[in-house]
Amino acid sequence: MSEALSLYVARPSRVHQLHPLTKLALAGFMLVGGLLLPGPWGLYIFWALVTLPLAFLGRILNQLVIATLRVAFPFALSVFLIQGFLWTGGTPLFRVGPLSLKQEGLAFAIASTGRILMVVSSFLWFALTTRPDQLMATLSQRGFPAGLSYMIVATLQIVPRFQARANAILDAQRSRGLETEGNLRRRLKALLPLVIPLVLSSLIDVEERALAIETRGFNRPGQKTNLIVIPEAPWEPAARIGILICAVLVVGLGLWLR
Amino acid sequence: MDRIKKDFSTLTLVMIPVAIAINIAVGQLIFTLKIPLYLDSIGTVLVGVLVGPWAGAVTGLLTNLIWGLTGLNVVSAAFWSVAAVIGVLAGLFSDAGWLRAWWKVILAGLITGLIAAILSAPISAYVFGGVTGAGTDVVVAIFRGMGLNVLPASFAQGVSSDPLDKATSFLVVWLIVQALPLRFIMRFPRAENVKPA
Repeated sequence: MSEALSLYVARPSRVHQLHPLTKLALAGFMLVGGLLLPGPWGLYIFWALVTLPLAFLGRILNQLVIATLRVAFPFALSVFLIQGFLWTGGTPLFRVGPLSLKQEGLAFAIASTGRILMVVSSFLWFALTTRPDQLMATLSQRGFPAGLSYMIVATLQIVPRFQARANAILDAQRSRGLETEGNLRRRLKALLPLVIPLVLSSLIDVEERALAIETRGFNRPGQKTNLIVIPEAPWEPAARIGILICAVLVVGLGLWLR
Repeated sequence: MDRIKKDFSTLTLVMIPVAIAINIAVGQLIFTLKIPLYLDSIGTVLVGVLVGPWAGAVTGLLTNLIWGLTGLNVVSAAFWSVAAVIGVLAGLFSDAGWLRAWWKVILAGLITGLIAAILSAPISAYVFGGVTGAGTDVVVAIFRGMGLNVLPASFAQGVSSDPLDKATSFLVVWLIVQALPLRFIMRFPRAENVKPA
């Protein structure tokens, strides 16, 4: 099996042993909290009190923080510069040349950065601790349409192969003299000789794949046996309900404090 | 319901992951070439055109969710609804017969881009504070500097880049369809929409 597209980091941790659905519920809880908690600082407190400890428990604190910052930092910079200094009206805090840092713009930037931090880190926390194939196996065992889970798992496997193919085409066309650097017009002219071969070559084996999975009984109705069994602790279903109740409470709190 | 079932044949189920991979691979190729477009919806438009609006929507939605959830492009996950609408629109334009003439293809792309800009502005303004951490932030900065608010500035940025991007995507899809063997195209439910007259 070729390498699949995934951030998963294998660690012997309590978080990794959790059932994928429990982790999904926790990630959803963090996401909801991140999007709905009011005020510029509420999000940061929530992040420090919920997300970071969960990442610590999963032994992926380093990876989570690095990956989150890599995504959030360009944002934070952009949002501080653009909204902080170019805010229309507002109370100026201090001036730099013709521009001034506005209090409202700064508060907006802090709140936006917090929201990005929460959204990104809840996604990453889930991706770092959950194997995609296990997640999909769980979902299809719970009645999630088999077609949909096939599409997701297949995508995760195809994407790395496609990226490799895209690079091969790039190298091949370059070696035949295609100019991929220089001014914009030149780069635009390189677009079609790269995109068309990539798309056409990838579509050619679609038909064969369809026949292959049909001959393996993909469309056969009725109960199917699962190869992967996902372990679940007896208390986990109850815990998931608890997490969902907490999420609803956070939504209520968020709306009430607004 | 029957129509949907017919659309989601085994061929479609196999086609969608390939289309998603096309979206992601081409999107990253464009990034490498430093072309100021996204072109990350070629696969979505292709599925919308050949299989129909529902399959197009699924392709767009899954592209952004998978791209985001795997941490490659976390930002895109927030725009899943926009991606789904692009797939639906591609399907509708295909049904309306707009994929038969190149100028109608460009027009369809421009309209799709305009709608995408309208839909993505509130998301980028609310979730991301109007910026995406990408090169297009310069455009947002210019509009903010002209005195526009967060939401109008995001919208103005969208309008200045999305229609061109989607028109290019639609045109590329049209070229691909012209280059594909007819035997392959005829296997798809909406082959009639793109078949040369």
